[in-house]
Amino acid sequence: MMRAKVAIAVGVISLALAGRALAHHSFTAEFDATKPIMLTGTVTKVEWTNPHTWFFIDVKNPDGSVTNWGFEMPGPAQLLRQGLKRDSMKIGDVVTVDARRSRDGSNNANAQTVTMASTGQRLFGGTAPVP
Amino acid sequence: MRKYHLVATVALLWTMGATASAQWLSVPLPGTPRTPDGKPNLSAAAPKTSDGKPDLSGIWKADTTRYNDNLLPPGTEAPMLPWAADVYKHRVSTMGYERPMTFCMPHGVPDAFTTPMPFKIIQTSGDTIILFEEFHKYRQVHTDGRKLPEDPDPAWYGYSIGRWEGDTFVVDTSGFKEGTWLDNNGHPHTEALKTTERFRRINFGRMDLEVEITDPKAYSRPWKSDTIHFLLMPDTELMEHLCENNRDLQSLQEYWGNKK
Repeated sequence: MMRAKVAIAVGVISLALAGRALAHHSFTAEFDATKPIMLTGTVTKVEWTNPHTWFFIDVKNPDGSVTNWGFEMPGPAQLLRQGLKRDSMKIGDVVTVDARRSRDGSNNANAQTVTMASTGQRLFGGTAPVP
Repeated sequence: MRKYHLVATVALLWTMGATASAQWLSVPLPGTPRTPDGKPNLSAAAPKTSDGKPDLSGIWKADTTRYNDNLLPPGTEAPMLPWAADVYKHRVSTMGYERPMTFCMPHGVPDAFTTPMPFKIIQTSGDTIILFEEFHKYRQVHTDGRKLPEDPDPAWYGYSIGRWEGDTFVVDTSGFKEGTWLDNNGHPHTEALKTTERFRRINFGRMDLEVEITDPKAYSRPWKSDTIHFLLMPDTELMEHLCENNRDLQSLQEYWGNKK
């Protein structure tokens, strides 16, 4: 019985992991695939680093306050193979990010797609094959 | 004159810099069979070395991350001893948050081959070298006839020797230290682990690998991996991948540490 439960859990986790191309840590351990979030804001920082690229945006809240959100993406090698460069996203650019929230409740998330708000240009994710 | 040269050099470097990554990622490699339109012919025959053996050299990547999650064929279970089953259950139930990569340690044998990142095989007459893009690591498989060491200092990737059985490259590895997981789900092993990896290059663009796991301190009998399929990445190069900005560790430790 216990074995069956473990097998089921493994199956569920394997399914949840399918298609995630995070070469570093466990995606499901850090981010919650059932907690999507869509945010638009102004880029304040880009960390073009391994093992993951991170970028940060200021998002204006309904009450007028501003929250800085951080987003994880694959490292530079995987992004370069998808056509992104270190200057594809610049400080001051306004982007829309479809992401999955961090389990720790912080203002961090894993970016699934990144779109330039002014032009609709898809910078990352979506139909682009993740290597 | 010297000043002119300096300006010209700087200008040239600046121009090159703008396209350096593209040139690195897309670079026609000699020895690549091509179709009449110049594209790599991935279904061409597997290349051979001068001594008539298949040449496994090239940049490869697993065709799916499924094997990286679980080394076994779907629907099967490894014959884990009770302690190993307990460790595995814990790792699955905590979603693998403690896997070595969380701490910037690389995948090992055999799962470094199954990550979503490519690896490069360089086959020479006495060694076959594998360069892993993930964390900039390497393995050496000695093919000069030496035996495996009898009392090796335990090592993350162990010690590897290779031989040919027909067109199959057979790699025996032992001398492991504990620490790696056999896959991301967390199949454990001990220092008693021995692996036998069987590589077969199907054609220019495809290569298969089957791994046999023998570890009598963790498993009741030897078991085999699923057949792992690799696809060649033509006309490209490996990129650097290190662990200079590990923002994930603190979040993972705080979240899962607080759940204990």
